[in-house]
Amino acid sequence: MTFATRTWDRMSLTSRLVAILVPLALILAVGSVVGILVILPATMDFLRANLPLVRFAVAVVGILVLTIPTAFVLIYLELKIIARMNLRVGPNRIGPWGAAMSLIHGFKVLSKEDFTPTGADLPVFTLAPVVTFLASVMTLLVIPFAPGLFGQDLNIGLLYFFAMGGLSVLGLLMAGWASFNKYSLLGGLRAAAQIVSYEIPLTLSVVGVVILAGTMSMNRLVLAQSGSALDWFAFKQPLAVLIFFIAATAEANRTPFDMTEADSEIVAGFATEYSGMRFGFFFFAEYVNVFIVSALLATLFFGGWTAPFNWPWPYNLNWLDASGIGVLWIPIAIIATVVVADVVAVAVRLVGGRSWSAPSAFGLGFLAAGVGIAAVVGLACFIAFDWVQGIFWFMTKTYVFVFTFVWMRGTLPRVRVDQLMGFAWKWLLPASLLNLFVTATAVVLLNQ
Amino acid sequence: MPIGDTVPLTAIRWDDILFVVLAAMLLGSALLVVTMRDIIRCGLAMIAAFASLAGIYVLLGNPLIAATQVLVYIGAISVLVLFAIMLTQTKNAPARLVFQTQAWAAALAAVVIAAVIAISVTATTWPSAGAVAWTDTTRVAELLFSDYLLPFEVVSVLLTAAVVGGVLLARRDPDENEEDRP
Repeated sequence: MTFATRTWDRMSLTSRLVAILVPLALILAVGSVVGILVILPATMDFLRANLPLVRFAVAVVGILVLTIPTAFVLIYLELKIIARMNLRVGPNRIGPWGAAMSLIHGFKVLSKEDFTPTGADLPVFTLAPVVTFLASVMTLLVIPFAPGLFGQDLNIGLLYFFAMGGLSVLGLLMAGWASFNKYSLLGGLRAAAQIVSYEIPLTLSVVGVVILAGTMSMNRLVLAQSGSALDWFAFKQPLAVLIFFIAATAEANRTPFDMTEADSEIVAGFATEYSGMRFGFFFFAEYVNVFIVSALLATLFFGGWTAPFNWPWPYNLNWLDASGIGVLWIPIAIIATVVVADVVAVAVRLVGGRSWSAPSAFGLGFLAAGVGIAAVVGLACFIAFDWVQGIFWFMTKTYVFVFTFVWMRGTLPRVRVDQLMGFAWKWLLPASLLNLFVTATAVVLLNQ
Repeated sequence: MPIGDTVPLTAIRWDDILFVVLAAMLLGSALLVVTMRDIIRCGLAMIAAFASLAGIYVLLGNPLIAATQVLVYIGAISVLVLFAIMLTQTKNAPARLVFQTQAWAAALAAVVIAAVIAISVTATTWPSAGAVAWTDTTRVAELLFSDYLLPFEVVSVLLTAAVVGGVLLARRDPDENEEDRP
């Protein structure tokens, strides 16, 4: 027995804790001093010198992370809204109003068996959900969320969007083939036929917007609509909005055009043989697609992040600037919370008397203070930062369309597959060509 | 310090490394297209080849062509090719070599094509690449509608003829019985 172990055995619990904690604290202190003095400035310099690269890396990670809350919110919205439309209650057990339901769905999918059917083409079978998911995520890179808040401002942004969005069909086709199941194959074939057909009117319907704005950069498309709601392209291109909306529904495989997974006809289409997280990725991609399509609709035709009316107050008020009072707003907010909570609690005790116990009065006070402070801070940020405003308007518009997609799923029956194809080629394609010709003629005549 | 144009400690440019990687991917997947037996996997390898080519276009400073490559060749043509294969083939297709009945003719054709390519590559004087110029969409449109208007119109007439031909081939005979349809 060595000296060290003998000493360790003789020590009491307190001295053992001290013996562990003191060296640990010393190491941490020295480490943080070295980190702050040496490593941090060097890292910051390195990052600052490579700003475009860093920006790109942050954007890619950001859009990947963004898909998770987006999909969770969308799944919950869909469960809840369709339940209300069907006169049901919907999820109401986990979390407040069942809000954590999609989290549980996620864990359920993760913990399921990841099954591969006999005869499946394993590499293709495994890659298919990856292709579908990545195709959806990569399109998020060019969507402008707010002024200055976008992945990359490509000058061919719109073309990039359609190029990447079109790749998702490849994943569905791969899934349908590799599953070695005739229903999967039918689903994959339907996906290919449907998406290739609807891509043409979808792309043609936005050409009118490109002609009007004279650019394919998403950012400049939004700027071309700045002003009030009357400047939105939706009012100059009403037919295009309609075509885009219908074609986008088909592109995102949403009801009434979800022929690829029509469960009353072909079990679950391309997803029949999938289980576990591979299945999860397909539906991850589907919900992200709904968000992306809604975001594109808002960006192209409904002014993106611009406010629907002329915003009368100037941006960037000085009193929220970091160089001013800055971080001190945090202690002020804490003190304000305590004060407001006390005031409300005392008021409740005075007015309500014996019916309110002290803890519940304070609870009410803290709730009121929290809501109040959050409202004040939110409003201040809204007025002070143009990107907060941008996100607010962008998300509001986007989620209006997300709601519309969910609404359609709750309301409309599924179309037949031959009706679907006929509609694309016989109605949407001529209509989008007509829209293109009328727009081009109008632009030529008006610009003379 | 910023990351420079070259790999640290060497004189190799990042662009060159990217080009070599993309070219290797392109050649490798192109080789897979013609050597693999599973025709669907061949189609998928073809898509990988197209994607690598799109990457090379980006590297050459023309993202417009790259996006068009992805949109048209991967998103439409390859998907339609895969669609047609899946519609006509089954998974339990003959596993033996069905493509090698004309091996001699194919070998002859390959030798001839290789000779033609070798001659044309060596006979051409290749201009040294200047600085990478980023192509402007507006500029492409101007060229397309001024200098190259005639080829553009001819191609559009050709495409229209192809569409009309396709519709004519796929059209159902008016006096065909409902029961006779496959």
